[in-house]
Amino acid sequence: MDVKIPEGLWADDNEGIISTWLYADGDQIAEGAVVAELMVEKVTHDLVAEGSGILKICVSEESPVKPGMIVAKLK
Amino acid sequence: MTIDTDTSENSLVSAAPTRRLTIAKAMTEAIAQEMRADSSIIVLGEDVGKLGGVFATTQGLFAEFGPDRVCDTPISESAFIGAAVGMATSGMRPIVEMMFVDFFGVCMNSIYNVAAKNCYFSGGSQPVPMVLMTSVGGGYSDGGEHSQVLYGTFAHLPGMKVVIPSNAYDAKGLMSAAINDANPVIFMFHKALQGMGWLGTVRGSITDVPIERYEVPIGQAAMIREGADITLVGLGITVHHALEAASELQEKGISAEVIDLRTVVPLDRDRLVQSIRKTGRLIVVDDDYQSFGVASEIMALASELAFKHLRSAPARVAHPDVPIPFSPVLERHLLPSSAKIVAAAEKMIRN
Repeated sequence: MDVKIPEGLWADDNEGIISTWLYADGDQIAEGAVVAELMVEKVTHDLVAEGSGILKICVSEESPVKPGMIVAKLK
Repeated sequence: MTIDTDTSENSLVSAAPTRRLTIAKAMTEAIAQEMRADSSIIVLGEDVGKLGGVFATTQGLFAEFGPDRVCDTPISESAFIGAAVGMATSGMRPIVEMMFVDFFGVCMNSIYNVAAKNCYFSGGSQPVPMVLMTSVGGGYSDGGEHSQVLYGTFAHLPGMKVVIPSNAYDAKGLMSAAINDANPVIFMFHKALQGMGWLGTVRGSITDVPIERYEVPIGQAAMIREGADITLVGLGITVHHALEAASELQEKGISAEVIDLRTVVPLDRDRLVQSIRKTGRLIVVDDDYQSFGVASEIMALASELAFKHLRSAPARVAHPDVPIPFSPVLERHLLPSSAKIVAAAEKMIRN
């Protein structure tokens, strides 16, 4: 399952960054857990896992992201 | 962004069996829970309102509690910290944020001559139950007036408690304890442990945090890694340097015990002495200036209370007695690191 930044979490044309991954590769994630914090124009958003599984991070901290982007996988 | 994790509206978060928080969020959650329980608690400081704090310590509080209880102040520490001291002496419980500890110079009279002493001056009839939370620490090239920690400066002056968490669990528990303490508490948080991204993120500072309210008692250090050959004492970020060093030392056959101070004042002398007597060797890791500080105090403690047990002279890994440089190369060279701790430990044990 993909961990995806929800469409419409913020206005499409702005880039945000992943400020913090709260878990590391290989960690077991439960559905509903906040797995990362995103920062957009000094505002913080939570990224919530919509399923459970073992985390595989695809986009590292400090990297620019946009709504709709897949940033990790849950296996 | 939601901080309101203990109410049913926020089902996504509270449904999670485990929940990991950064220190910033853990602090905010503690403040929110205490504010719900006690209407005399208010928050004030620069950018603590709509912005939620430049180090994300008050995210969401303005939306929940409104401008009467979460107040943005002008850029005048002497005014708003003085105001907080006045509020605390007249029945309120203010939490005031000083954005950088380095700014204490303009408001220190309110802190050390009034907040710290008023309880004594009034024969105990007028305590000052305030929390002054403030960011500390360098490592990101912000120059000499935005990078200090100044643990020793505040610890030296009697009448204030001083705490600094190394992880989110302790941050939440210490914040609740600080808010409910009758004394002024200086709550320091290290910028590199806030989980802000642009300040670097130390993995070990992000921990599982209970949703319900709890306290970590002020005045208790924690032994977070057991060892037999040497005691490494750290606080805030240097705890993480010490843990990294302990892992490296283990590969070299040296068993290091790691103590996280958690509270600087009152210092947990019992816990420290117990460990120093056991291992006979002590290195204090302190990102404050080397002389006249927390490291010096703990070394003095070792000679006063554990002298006969010492197998070698205690040592410290600290910032040399010069202002913290802006240059990243120079700053990195001067700040404590795990490599410096490993080198100091090997030298101590070889001798």
